[in-house]
Amino acid sequence: MSRAMTLAVAFVATIALILGGAAGIGYLTADGADSPPDLENDHYLDEELISDGTPGEADVTMSSTGPAQTVLIDAGAADGAMPVDPLALLGLGADGAADRDVRPLVNALIENGHEVRIHTPDPDAAQRPPADGEPTALGADLAEADAFVTFRTEYAEEEVEDIEVFVENDGHVLLASDASAEFDGPGAASLDSALGVTTHPGYVYNMEEHDLNYQRVYAEPDIDSPITRDVDRVVFQSATPVGASTTQGTLRPIDGSQLSTTRESTEEPLLVHQGNVVIAGDSAFMSPENAQRVDNDVLIGNLADFLVENDRDAGTQPPEGDADPPSEPVPPEGELPDDGLPEEEPPG
Amino acid sequence: MPAKKYIEAFSMRQQVAIVVVAAAVVAGLFVPAVYGTTNEPADTVAVVEVEGPVNAALADDVETELTEVRNNDSVGAVVLKIDTSGGQPVASERMYKSVQRTSDEMPVIASVQDISASGGYYAMAPADDIYVLPTSTVGSIGLNAPAPSSSPPAEGPSGPDKTGSNEIEQWAQQQTLADTFVDAMMAERGDEFEMSREEVAHADVYLGTEAIHNGFADEIGSLDEAVHEAAERANMRTYEVDTRETGMDGGLPILIQTDDELVAVYSNDPGYADIEPMPFAYVYDGAVPHIDTIERFAADDVEAAVDATDATGGEDATDDEANGTEESDGTDDVPSLSREVSP
Repeated sequence: MSRAMTLAVAFVATIALILGGAAGIGYLTADGADSPPDLENDHYLDEELISDGTPGEADVTMSSTGPAQTVLIDAGAADGAMPVDPLALLGLGADGAADRDVRPLVNALIENGHEVRIHTPDPDAAQRPPADGEPTALGADLAEADAFVTFRTEYAEEEVEDIEVFVENDGHVLLASDASAEFDGPGAASLDSALGVTTHPGYVYNMEEHDLNYQRVYAEPDIDSPITRDVDRVVFQSATPVGASTTQGTLRPIDGSQLSTTRESTEEPLLVHQGNVVIAGDSAFMSPENAQRVDNDVLIGNLADFLVENDRDAGTQPPEGDADPPSEPVPPEGELPDDGLPEEEPPG
Repeated sequence: MPAKKYIEAFSMRQQVAIVVVAAAVVAGLFVPAVYGTTNEPADTVAVVEVEGPVNAALADDVETELTEVRNNDSVGAVVLKIDTSGGQPVASERMYKSVQRTSDEMPVIASVQDISASGGYYAMAPADDIYVLPTSTVGSIGLNAPAPSSSPPAEGPSGPDKTGSNEIEQWAQQQTLADTFVDAMMAERGDEFEMSREEVAHADVYLGTEAIHNGFADEIGSLDEAVHEAAERANMRTYEVDTRETGMDGGLPILIQTDDELVAVYSNDPGYADIEPMPFAYVYDGAVPHIDTIERFAADDVEAAVDATDATGGEDATDDEANGTEESDGTDDVPSLSREVSP
């Protein structure tokens, strides 16, 4: 090997050795792609995380053995905008209920020999008020009924009067409202006033203990009453608080419940029984699915008993007989009416 | 020659020694470059953008970027530049896991711009610190979903749950989805939250000024300050910033609320394939416009289209467009799932 070649080899070998060493050390000390860290996410593995979706079972039974009664159901209409096919649905719209929403109650009544009738609201009733002396369509239906179940909150003035007369004459009324009703039109104030009950804006929720959603709250009876007999706990969904001046039975939300409008704790009842009227702040608690939750089925049976255990005699009591009530004396012919003015002769 | 005379003045061994020394000097000049090539010092803060609705495309990109970041030795810290009101649950979880893994290997700071809510908050929760601006919005830890409802039986499917489940089972599934989110946030930031689990599950949102006091954020600071903090935590004396964009190449989807549900729309002139219903979502719906609002602001465009159609004599089309404008519920255009409106 020539001298020059030897020196060249020495030069190249030295550079290669140093740079190769640097590269090798760098490679060996590099972080590289480590194996993935072993991350523990125990919060995903907790079995209690999985909510129990077992639907449950319902057994709606009635204890009443009284004579057959007629129960009228008004499930509402589609904002009065279109007629509802009563065969397909009992009602549509914000304050309406479908057939299946009341089917557990309806079936209990039918199985115990009672008659259930459906009042289908006339969407054009507001444009065609009844003539003086003529009953409203609702009044005519109520005249033949012993009890009334309604999911509507808005009625014409004449209809509210018919309902009021119906209650005053021993008819039993179950009013199922809900928190969305207060967002619709003029609201339920006139009906509430006629029935002597109240509703409060907002819905009740419970973040601590609930039935699969914070708006599906548990409610429990605070006193023994026929309405709450054998009821330990029921579920109401998006329910609005209700009240009455005197109560014979109530279901109040459990501890930890709060009102949406105030975000404060609330014990305001979600169902109240006062005389001939029961008002519930929820229109969904009687649906087949909800009837299967805790004691909703027992409550539905108790409400069925409440409806048929009344003192009403539809054949003799108003509203049908209010034009000629038998309890009031009939003025003799020729006697002036109360206003002291002679009655006008009908034209022609 | 004088050079030859000088060379011959040294012995062969001396000549080799001189060459070796010279080679060592030359090699020494290249050692830092060679060493750096194989063992790059961490001198870069990667800023990974997480912006727009959280969906699979965004999660794909964020996962890819963070995987690359973890395998790139020049990156010593990550800042998540967050601006999203949330989106799909699974996409949120994917980003959460990716951020969690990255945070296990290097400093990760989340820097909230306008909003990081719901699924966006989920994704950034494993960060070491959350930086917010005073009027940033954070929170909304919870699930958006319609109220389950029963539907008439569909004839044909192979099983009862194929086209819709039982109401109660759906309620349970939705509660599990919500609890999964809340539990993950409690695991990540339960020590920071100055409130109970129930209060967290209220799903409220907070401004930055409030969030640094209730534990939903850690510091008031801008993106630059978050980057600087990340570099300091990685012990970088000097650093570079490498910003990595994420999201769809074709533009982000628009989230729209209808009366019934939430939908993601992938086009300004959407066809059927451009609308994706989102029955379950980790979204702060206060940041999602209602379709009525969009229609109201787009009314001029619709009227212009109607006028243009009028001018061309398309009467049928005109009627359709006009009717479409007046029907403001917007539910006819998308598949329907009922959704309760909270009073």
